[in-house]
Amino acid sequence: MTLSDFTSFLMKNSKTIMEYSENHFTLVLLAVGISLAIWVPVGLLLTKSDKWAARVLALANTIFCIPSLSMFAILVTIPMFGLGRKSALLALVLYAMMPLIRSVYDGVKNVDRNVIEAARGMGMGTRRILIEILVPLGMPIIFAGFRITVVMTTGIAAIATYIGERNLGRFIQEGLIRSNTPMMVTGALIISAIAIGLDTILGLVEKRIVPKGLRISR
Amino acid sequence: MKWENFRFALFEKAPEALWEHSLIVVITITLAILISVPLGIFLSRPKFKKFGLVTLNILNLLQAVPGIAVIALALPILGLGMEPAIVALMFQSLLPIVRNTIAGLLGVSSDVKEAASGMGMSQRRILIEVELPLAVPIILSGIRTATVYVVSMGTLASLIGAGGLGNLIMGGLSLFRPEYLLVGAGLGALMAIFLDRMINYLEQRITPPSMGAE
Amino acid sequence: MIELDQITKQYPGQAMPAVDKLFLSIPKGEICVLVGPSGCGKSTILRMINRMIEPTSGIVKINGDDVTRTDPDQLRMGIGYVIQQIGLLPHRTIAENIAVVPRLYKWPKGKINKRVDELIVMMGLDLEKTRGKYPAQLSGGQMQRVGVARAMAVDPPIMLMDEPFGAVDPIARTHLQDELLRLQKEIKKTIVFVTHDINEAIKMGDRIAIFDAGKLVQFGTPEEILTNPINEFVEDFIGRDRVVKKLNLYLAEDAMQPIGCVVKGNELHTVAQKMKDAHVRVAFLLNEEGKACGQITVSDTEEFGRDIEGLRKRVLRTEKAFVQTTTPFPDALSLLLEYDTDYLGILKGEELCGMLSFKGIRKHVYRKEGE
Repeated sequence: MTLSDFTSFLMKNSKTIMEYSENHFTLVLLAVGISLAIWVPVGLLLTKSDKWAARVLALANTIFCIPSLSMFAILVTIPMFGLGRKSALLALVLYAMMPLIRSVYDGVKNVDRNVIEAARGMGMGTRRILIEILVPLGMPIIFAGFRITVVMTTGIAAIATYIGERNLGRFIQEGLIRSNTPMMVTGALIISAIAIGLDTILGLVEKRIVPKGLRISR
Repeated sequence: MKWENFRFALFEKAPEALWEHSLIVVITITLAILISVPLGIFLSRPKFKKFGLVTLNILNLLQAVPGIAVIALALPILGLGMEPAIVALMFQSLLPIVRNTIAGLLGVSSDVKEAASGMGMSQRRILIEVELPLAVPIILSGIRTATVYVVSMGTLASLIGAGGLGNLIMGGLSLFRPEYLLVGAGLGALMAIFLDRMINYLEQRITPPSMGAE
Repeated sequence: MIELDQITKQYPGQAMPAVDKLFLSIPKGEICVLVGPSGCGKSTILRMINRMIEPTSGIVKINGDDVTRTDPDQLRMGIGYVIQQIGLLPHRTIAENIAVVPRLYKWPKGKINKRVDELIVMMGLDLEKTRGKYPAQLSGGQMQRVGVARAMAVDPPIMLMDEPFGAVDPIARTHLQDELLRLQKEIKKTIVFVTHDINEAIKMGDRIAIFDAGKLVQFGTPEEILTNPINEFVEDFIGRDRVVKKLNLYLAEDAMQPIGCVVKGNELHTVAQKMKDAHVRVAFLLNEEGKACGQITVSDTEEFGRDIEGLRKRVLRTEKAFVQTTTPFPDALSLLLEYDTDYLGILKGEELCGMLSFKGIRKHVYRKEGE
């Protein structure tokens, strides 16, 4: 395979690439959105109970261990889900459980207890402490979890092509079946570029998101 | 679902797949450890700090590449079979071990190191007798992450002819045989969870009680 | 006034209550120090006043009102709270940190800014340099100044301080203590101050409450406690050197004696006769501007006799052997020992107004001890 194979593939299939990319992003966006909506509140709630936190984190850890292809395969056999987007979404949301819950929990738990004690002593209510102290101070860790989730979801979403998603993973799948190397490599490169790009951009944001007071020292 | 298919998948197909999968995991992780730990030690020496940062950044980028893309890129470069799959997976499992080796070694408090050198230990002895033992739990945690990852991505290795549990799953998907899916996926999941728990147990056992779990 | 009435705090799973049927009445405008060994319940008591901890039984009243009738957040907004670990918000500037409670009260911006500036200056911090800084950029002592400023932001009548100076270095601690005492003279807050350091308690407290195992052992002024420790525990707690500690409570003026004899520089040859006439054993030398510059004792005159220049040199050796009326006894004693003399002149500003002697100090302490 040469560079010209690559560019000619890009030219010829630009429409398909657009379509697959769109599908890919829609799936990632949906999965990350749903995950945030569920796991962030769960993570926050768990900071209230160490006992439950240990249980839920252990569960999340276990789920996270399951190979992604296995996860898709298992969900597909469940009649309610089957082949298609429902299974794909559920799998991605389940994977996001570990990094999101863990980072929210760690982020909030890492906040200096004395700061919270002092804030409470000054008459700040629970809500205010959450909004003004816990979230901004926990943000660097929470955001790191978010970054991992986004990059991971982008990668795993590609595998969902095997359960019927028509996204960027399909180039790899089809390329393998048809021994079409340019197709396969192009697909792999596009996904890699997107993942690395997202990781880099979010990494930059992560550095900027640290509150100024924590970045500087004497 | 038919019992017949299930039995066939479990007793006729699974043993070989499981054996292949285990082989992939064990060889990959062994190679990864042999490369990563010395690399981590090397990069944690003060002289090479700058170099370490660059290496970590590169490994970080590699880590962001989705596993399926790695497998797909390995094929045209390395060809079909188990060896290419192992090489591809190994590259991706370096990061967690290198990163944790560095973190573990740098995490040893400078007081302890100073005390050791005050007692007349050489840098080498300090590394072997003080730093490494204290860093082992953290290094193990990196190995655990890498192992789970390799088990997971190992299922995709069947795409380039490496065999393993992926064969059962892919077969199940293309023929739509839920029995194959359940056996392949279930064994993959169990293997990952089992290894995770096992290494985690080792970590806990090896951590000096005063340092606390994790 | 803060009243604790039959307060008990029993933590689940513990055999002994952390605080046991405590009755304590803390007068308005004073610093009341709660002191005792760690685990004696002093912090728990403090934290029950602003409802950070709720008592198992009993009532806490502030100015006659049961605190449980007020919403806890509202209650805490009206009580200054300073803790050892300070707990400044690390992501907010110093100005924003001090402004937290005024903001909770929804003060207008202008008023908040004015108050913040006022407090920064009041705490002896550089206004321009400190305002926009973050806590991580300050030293421990500076941070605790901000902590105190933050607690005083809305000028609450009551301040609770839980080992406020426990984490700063000794020099900064002394400064902070002195400044709080100086401030307190103007602001007259009711301050409840927790410490485990009996010396700090003696220094800071108008009243000291000593606790042991959740019970109040003795409550009184530092002088009362040092003079009449109620039992062996208190005696042990304040230490074998309790009388020496008591010296801190007295100032040079307390044992001031009148001066019998002063001489000018050109009258040195007459000093022996003058002392004899006045029946005193010490005289003080004044220079041309009338400033005291040394002392002459009877033995000096006997030693030097007609050697006026020798006598003058001897006198000038004690040029700095003077204390202020407000100098505490220990500092005065230190000077007495340093100059190996029995007397010190007492100055009020620049002016010589009396003298202090070893004997006078002993008498004063003895009389107080005997009371």
